[in-house]
Amino acid sequence: MAAAQAGDGPAYRRLLAALRPWLQRYFARRLPPSAVDDAIQETMLAIHSKRHTYDPVRPFGPWLAGIARFKWVDRLRAASRTAADELPEHLATGDHESAVTSALALRQLMATLKAPQADAIRLVKLEGLSIEEAAVFTGQSPSLVKVNIHRGLAKLAKLVEDGADGD
Amino acid sequence: MATETLIESLVADLRPVKPRNRSTETLILAGLGALQLLLFVVIYGVRADFMPAMHSSALWWKVISMGVIALLGVAAVLRSLDPANAIRTNLGRIAAVAAIALAAGWLIDAGAGGREALLARLNWHHGLQCVWMVFILSQPAVIGLTLLARHGAPTDLPRTALAAGLAAAGWGGFVFAFACPFDDPLYVAVWYTVAVIAVAAPMRWLLPKLTRW
Repeated sequence: MAAAQAGDGPAYRRLLAALRPWLQRYFARRLPPSAVDDAIQETMLAIHSKRHTYDPVRPFGPWLAGIARFKWVDRLRAASRTAADELPEHLATGDHESAVTSALALRQLMATLKAPQADAIRLVKLEGLSIEEAAVFTGQSPSLVKVNIHRGLAKLAKLVEDGADGD
Repeated sequence: MATETLIESLVADLRPVKPRNRSTETLILAGLGALQLLLFVVIYGVRADFMPAMHSSALWWKVISMGVIALLGVAAVLRSLDPANAIRTNLGRIAAVAAIALAAGWLIDAGAGGREALLARLNWHHGLQCVWMVFILSQPAVIGLTLLARHGAPTDLPRTALAAGLAAAGWGGFVFAFACPFDDPLYVAVWYTVAVIAVAAPMRWLLPKLTRW
């Protein structure tokens, strides 16, 4: 990173390429699969735009982890803002198991939520059901499902900001 | 866009950058603060009874409390602009100092003896003027800390914003304390608290929107 700060392109390319698998693992443990690539790219853009904030005399890991965590919270907040949007039908894929297991850390955090909020998030955001399907499944009204998703994701983001890491 | 394409774009866009230096930032803020204080004293002046007031514990209570809040706030902001750092501890210290400052005020008040009517002591007309002055005097710090936060990489925007708001408010109160002729702890505790909230609350709301990255 120090070389990249000095303008060394090849070193920067090697660094970003080396970061990619680490970011892949980081976000795959915390986000649904469909959100992982976007989160990786947003993190790389953030690393690029804020590379001057890295102090070369200090370890690189905590700096990188701080940015990745920030982008994770950002994703959770963005998801809570768009919780009321109807999800397209094609998101309801059959790969539920993969979605659930890859979001293991997120689900650990979800254990801190109220059951209706956790159910709504799990069904719509992790398993890809539509709002109406989740409403039928949980016995909640569609508008209540939306509210529970919004409030639950906002609470998750707050939990992560306050120190929970999902690990 | 594929991640490989993004990486190539970022590499192509790479320019040398100078790593941020907290000492330099601290010196710049200190210099700007000293300049503002000097200009304020020269243009507006200190309170008429400044020399005798220097023997009053209330004056130093105001100055030191506000100064320490400003210092801790700035330290918290500077620290929070590095993604590797957490800010929580620093904010706790600021809150503790604020609480101690208020409590000290009440103690001084209790020891002062003699009670006037509450409204007369609060002197709301001058109190609002004090709030306005602190608000105005905090604006250079508001602008400076906002620019600094945009340049840095705060990863906890609400806390950075709160720390910046407290720092700016503390600074405004610190500068104004040299001119404010009111030493009644009740007056100071009420109106300086209102002033701190008047500066910190909007900044807590606005700064995250201006520094999102």
